[in-house]
Amino acid sequence: MRALIAGALLALTASPVAAQNITAPPPPIPAGITVEEIKVHGASLMGNLEGNDVDRQVMVVLPPSYKTNPNKHYPVIYYLHGFAIDGKNFYNYMHVPEAVAKNAAEGNEFIVVVPSTLTKMGGSMYSSSVTTGDFRKFIAHDLVEYMDKNYRTIATRGGRGLAGHSMGGYGTWVIGMTYPQVFDSIWAQSACCVSARTETVESATAMGAVPIDGVDASGFGMRAGLASMVAWSPNPNNPPFYADFPLKDGKIDQSVIDRWRNNAPLAMVATHIEALQSFDAIGSDVGTKDGLIRDDTLIHEELEGFGIEHVWETYEGTHTDKIGERFANVVLPFFAQHLDKQ
Amino acid sequence: MFKSLIATAAAFVTLAAIPAAAQDQARASWVKMRSPAIEGNLEGNSAERTVLVVTPPGYDENTGKRYPVVYYLHGYWAPVEAQQAGFKLHEAVQAAAEAGNDVIMVMPDGFSKLRGGFYSSSPTVGDYETFVANDLVRWIDGNYRTIATRASRGLAGHSMGGYGTIRIAMKHPDTFSSIYMMSACCLDPMQMTAEQAKGIEAMTEADIAAAQFGQLAAVSTLATWSPDPTDDGFLKVYTGLKPDGTIDPLVNQRLAANSPLVLVPQYLSALNSLEAFAMDIGDKDFLLQGNAAFRAELDRFGVKYDFELYEGDHGNRIAERIRTEVLPFFGQHLDK
Repeated sequence: MRALIAGALLALTASPVAAQNITAPPPPIPAGITVEEIKVHGASLMGNLEGNDVDRQVMVVLPPSYKTNPNKHYPVIYYLHGFAIDGKNFYNYMHVPEAVAKNAAEGNEFIVVVPSTLTKMGGSMYSSSVTTGDFRKFIAHDLVEYMDKNYRTIATRGGRGLAGHSMGGYGTWVIGMTYPQVFDSIWAQSACCVSARTETVESATAMGAVPIDGVDASGFGMRAGLASMVAWSPNPNNPPFYADFPLKDGKIDQSVIDRWRNNAPLAMVATHIEALQSFDAIGSDVGTKDGLIRDDTLIHEELEGFGIEHVWETYEGTHTDKIGERFANVVLPFFAQHLDKQ
Repeated sequence: MFKSLIATAAAFVTLAAIPAAAQDQARASWVKMRSPAIEGNLEGNSAERTVLVVTPPGYDENTGKRYPVVYYLHGYWAPVEAQQAGFKLHEAVQAAAEAGNDVIMVMPDGFSKLRGGFYSSSPTVGDYETFVANDLVRWIDGNYRTIATRASRGLAGHSMGGYGTIRIAMKHPDTFSSIYMMSACCLDPMQMTAEQAKGIEAMTEADIAAAQFGQLAAVSTLATWSPDPTDDGFLKVYTGLKPDGTIDPLVNQRLAANSPLVLVPQYLSALNSLEAFAMDIGDKDFLLQGNAAFRAELDRFGVKYDFELYEGDHGNRIAERIRTEVLPFFGQHLDK
């Protein structure tokens, strides 16, 4: 997680504002591209204990012919943002409209959907938690259903791709493995949190010392740790965090670590072989200057060990400096190759 | 940990005679089906699976009638035929029919080269989870007059089958509406130690053939939850033993990721969506502790379930309780 801090905070040109969330200025919108900012109701998020919004902001980017060709249906890419940023600012930072326009010009039209999963703790981790909300189901079910009902999508597995960056790369792995029947192909960019999170007595003690109203000011790494905790070891009976902390009676509570392990993509691979094999295509990439390269290499090797075909690329770059251009030049063309076009 | 199950397995030595075809009585039939989910496994477990199907009295004559289905998952060690010899599922279906609960009961073969697939998903063993939740349910719905809806499908099982019941209920909540776990095993996470790993790596085919219940169960669960197609050995498992004699934490991460106790917080919506959820165990069962820990976790999250502690051990009252408890429970909760 430490590498994530350095990457996200150093390389983003945008400035952190209140609650330490990252912002970026609005992107250029090329001629012909339509952008809609909508709200999607998340039935799967109802009753979450953190009080996260059930109606989520979603950016929808429509390709040029969407308005002029009213009978055409389009493949959809669901694109998941990282930690400490919301969907709109991620869309801004990634210049999604330009990426859609560029690929359309090459003959590959997509709808790109960027949902916001920012939570009180700074990020949903795309997990299934009574405290945070069931964000895996929100993405794979509520959001997909909404898009298929309200837009001219290709409303089948063959027409859906799932991708994301950092926490969103993590989300791509876990949602893909949990709901393989929904998506045709997946691509994880600089995925975080691939191997199971552990704590020392010192780090766990520090987590326990953060007051609920001090989370925002606790720094990127601490917030990410607390966000992971509420996502992976929720406990409805332990307010105000509604989670089990990793420290119990001065020692690391192994049962909490076990629950975190169960949310580690690396630990999930061995029992989700059928799901992983069922994808049309899988891709993953990471920059050589990104500390997450170690973890991302591990899951690449794990897939290789199980004979699961996938694309694996490393490139000269940090956690954030090339991800926008790679989305436009690598990720979307990858989906163009694999998704149904009609 | 499985030691006392040996006694149970030993009790299954004789096959009970199945009553001759006569649809005034419940009828048990052995059938075969092909499961794509089992294909290609490295242990060579057959994708051609044996399935016991028990139809209730009147099934042949009442050709317009459709029935709810109870899927029953057997335990470790003994093959499905020997399990039925002990369970006598046709007697339970007969008793249920006499009480007004006509039901089809189905018991798939969960046996493997290492004597049990743990109803999990492993390239080494095969995807028994998908076999049950998907291939089997579709095949039964396609070949018998079932009420092919979630509301009319129940899932139950004993020991390894109790584990399979909760695992499949959590992962496939749209398929089954009510579940009953009997003396479930493997609820809390297993931990691999360097000692155990060394023992497993030293095992030969002959050792496997001669292994005792508990010893083999440890290997079988590893093949299921920490498979490794690149393993040079014949077991195709990853024990996690590193050249320096320590254990790779990944193996224990994998084991944790297959523990129902660990899975609970993540599958609360599935558990809360159940129409009915029951579990029981004998007061002399060696699995009491794992069951108590699992119940404490359900309680902590407010998951509702019925629980009964009865006088008995791991295996001595299973057949009786399928008849007197399990099928009446499903009679009450499945849509007819």
